[in-house]
Amino acid sequence: MLLSPRSSNLVLPHRPLRLLAGAAIAAAIAALVALVLLAILATAAGEPSRQSRVDVWHLVVMTSIQAGLTTILSLLVGTALAWALNRLRFPGRDLVVGLFASAIVTPGLIVAFGLLAVWGRAGWINQAALALTGHPFEVPLFGLAGILAAHVILDASFAARILLARLDSIPEKRLKTGQSLGLGAWQRFTVIDWPMLRTTLPGLAAIIFLLAFTSFPIVLLLGGGPANQTLEVAIYAAVRLDFDLNGAVTLALVQIGICSAVILAASAFAPISASTGGSTPPRWRDGAVARIAQWVVLAFGIVGFALPLLAILIDGIGPGILDVASRESFWKALGTSLALGSGSAILTLLLALGIGMGRAASGRPLLRIGIGAPAYAYLAVPAVVLSLGAFLLVRNAGLLPETAGPVVVLLANGLLSLPFALATLAPPLDAIAERRGRLIRSLGLGGWRQFMAVEWPLIGREAGVVLALSFCFSLGDLGVIALFGTEDFTTLPLLMYRALGAYRSNDAAAIAALMLVITIAAFVLLPKLVGKLTDARS
Amino acid sequence: MRTFARFALAAVICATALPVLAEDKPTLNIYTYDSFAAEWGPGPALKAGFEKTCGCTVQFTTSEDAISTLRKVQLEGASTKADLVVGLDTATSGEARATGLFAPHGLTLEGLSLPWSDAEFVPFDYGYFAFVYNKEKTPNPPTSFEELIALPASFKIVIEDPRSSTPGLGNVLWVEAAYGDRAPEIWKGLKPHILTMTRGWSEAYGLFLDGQADMVLSYTTSPAYHAVAENDDKYAYAPFTEGFVPQVEVAGLLKTAKQVELGKAFLAYLVTPEAQKVIPTTNWMYPVIDIGDALPAAFGKPPEKVLPIDEAELAANGRAWVDAALAALQ
Repeated sequence: MLLSPRSSNLVLPHRPLRLLAGAAIAAAIAALVALVLLAILATAAGEPSRQSRVDVWHLVVMTSIQAGLTTILSLLVGTALAWALNRLRFPGRDLVVGLFASAIVTPGLIVAFGLLAVWGRAGWINQAALALTGHPFEVPLFGLAGILAAHVILDASFAARILLARLDSIPEKRLKTGQSLGLGAWQRFTVIDWPMLRTTLPGLAAIIFLLAFTSFPIVLLLGGGPANQTLEVAIYAAVRLDFDLNGAVTLALVQIGICSAVILAASAFAPISASTGGSTPPRWRDGAVARIAQWVVLAFGIVGFALPLLAILIDGIGPGILDVASRESFWKALGTSLALGSGSAILTLLLALGIGMGRAASGRPLLRIGIGAPAYAYLAVPAVVLSLGAFLLVRNAGLLPETAGPVVVLLANGLLSLPFALATLAPPLDAIAERRGRLIRSLGLGGWRQFMAVEWPLIGREAGVVLALSFCFSLGDLGVIALFGTEDFTTLPLLMYRALGAYRSNDAAAIAALMLVITIAAFVLLPKLVGKLTDARS
Repeated sequence: MRTFARFALAAVICATALPVLAEDKPTLNIYTYDSFAAEWGPGPALKAGFEKTCGCTVQFTTSEDAISTLRKVQLEGASTKADLVVGLDTATSGEARATGLFAPHGLTLEGLSLPWSDAEFVPFDYGYFAFVYNKEKTPNPPTSFEELIALPASFKIVIEDPRSSTPGLGNVLWVEAAYGDRAPEIWKGLKPHILTMTRGWSEAYGLFLDGQADMVLSYTTSPAYHAVAENDDKYAYAPFTEGFVPQVEVAGLLKTAKQVELGKAFLAYLVTPEAQKVIPTTNWMYPVIDIGDALPAAFGKPPEKVLPIDEAELAANGRAWVDAALAALQ
């Protein structure tokens, strides 16, 4: 979705400021990544680079297979789910949509434990099977299958949420035309839905690949041993155990290189979004067979995705929750997490708008790549390298890590969710520039008027999704906090890991459940709220 | 929206700026691992106890785990604000010593319950790596690595990755100390029993408590937590006949410390009965001096057969041992 051939008769409004702003943000992110790596190299200068113990190519191949499978499966399942959800109306649909969206921002470990609570040896399914049939029903959850299952839960539900937003924004006119032409369910999908989806799929694919490629705790938790590993694990070991900073940077560069290649490849395949709209779609039911298929997909989706999250809620909501809620540390952590979440949500939205509008204002493929790619590349920087580099940068700048910590965490979390925000916002922004460029020019609208009168009303719903995404990412991510922490700066996930590390698994379960509740609430409420705001303005 | 952003930012900055206020008293800066300073850990009580007499303020700065604390000091070098590092252990103290950043503690450590002659590091608690099991579900646990290997493959254990976890590394040392050259063979034998190898102790122990595995690599002191804090005595550690490898947690004074006297005083305080009584039920490890009845009976007696780890040998071969174990498990 970054490199895209645009039609030759394209008329784009002249927006040098937007181009400049987009390019400046992109350059700043690229510079930040470079500075982080350079800071580590400068510290490592003079230290002999040790003989690497890592078989890099073996790891790269293993990781690529895992990430590739995760990406394909997630996109297939995500598309099917979005299709079903777009067609079906039922009570509690908003909640299901919110639940799906919240999977990706829930800390991976929680999801993995939820998966085990349902499918594991002591899980619901196995216990039910034992009670009913006397025979165990064990699913081989440890190994590649388990890693894929957990990744697909996280990523396919996220893909479904993003794709659903695209399907929901198909303009009324197109639907009405399609309906009057009497398109069948399959034709409707290929003619009306597919042009909408395929603009988003490459960006999503890049993100999911990156997430799976850099995955760490899930891979170790469900991997079943050192046979299943990722580069990220090797990088962590190089920093932490070997303190081989040169080696760590080299491995990090391999990871960033591979991920960048994937990002660029994905960009090459992405056409510009066909159209966008924001109205309530007319009721248009597919035929009986298609509807049955939709219900089946939805049922599988709910069993597969909602049950593990439900297990987390059931596990956590009990008398222990009152104990947790009665502690001052919980409220302090909650306050910090909410403030961080709100701050980075706004930061992400602003950055995504800056980059998205800058890209949309340019007709040149290379410039569009240059503006879009750094945001994705950031996702490929290993967390431990990021944490280390940021720590060194702050120190080199003469700042106290504890004082700078919150600002760094805010920035890091904001950047972390930027690719997700771009995947959500860039296609509609491109589509607007493409479809309404001529109109905007002929009306002689200025940049600000263009934004307020044309763009903002059309992207309101997506902006809400972006806010919710980034808010929850911040809420659930430990990010770069590792080296900055003091006992006074605590977030909810940190509190959860602390409880886990102190035998207090009930407390950890309660905190996990509360985080999930906040996340789901954010995903149900924020898009609606922002949608209302934009409607009021338009 | 903009005012909200400002408010959020202000809230974040305020939340971190406040603790810097306490002025006139000197501050003793201690780097430690997160769970040591956490509200359930020994940190708060030790801080309160020491501050009663020192006329100072104790400030903890935390890292994820012990080794990250050492890395942080290494990165900061001479400009570190840390006076003390609390929480290094058997596996990391050799490396820490080799950095040349630590100063002699100058204390005469007498009456310790473990043999100790270290000039730089002061021990404050210890434990032994062990496999913990549920007595109700596993009435007859294996009593050696070889017995464990001989069990059917459906008997599962969870262990930790030696590259990212202290007990994980401890496990490698344990097999090495017990079997030497036969270590890779033992690892190969364990392979079918290993359900998974997690990043850290928390995940492994969580899997075990959830009933996903029959045993987990933890500490001999873990059953005491369940007995004391949860009144639940169904957990025990498997009494392996090979003997056990200790993890001794230590504290050290940095050469660059600004508060040398306060730092030494804190090290001395760590081994007083008052401080040692705090440790067992907050850090869930054995105290390094005899604290009599203050040690809950659930801790039992530490295992008698101890497999010593030689610091020099560990420094020379630790990496190779880890690689060999991982290779055997591939």
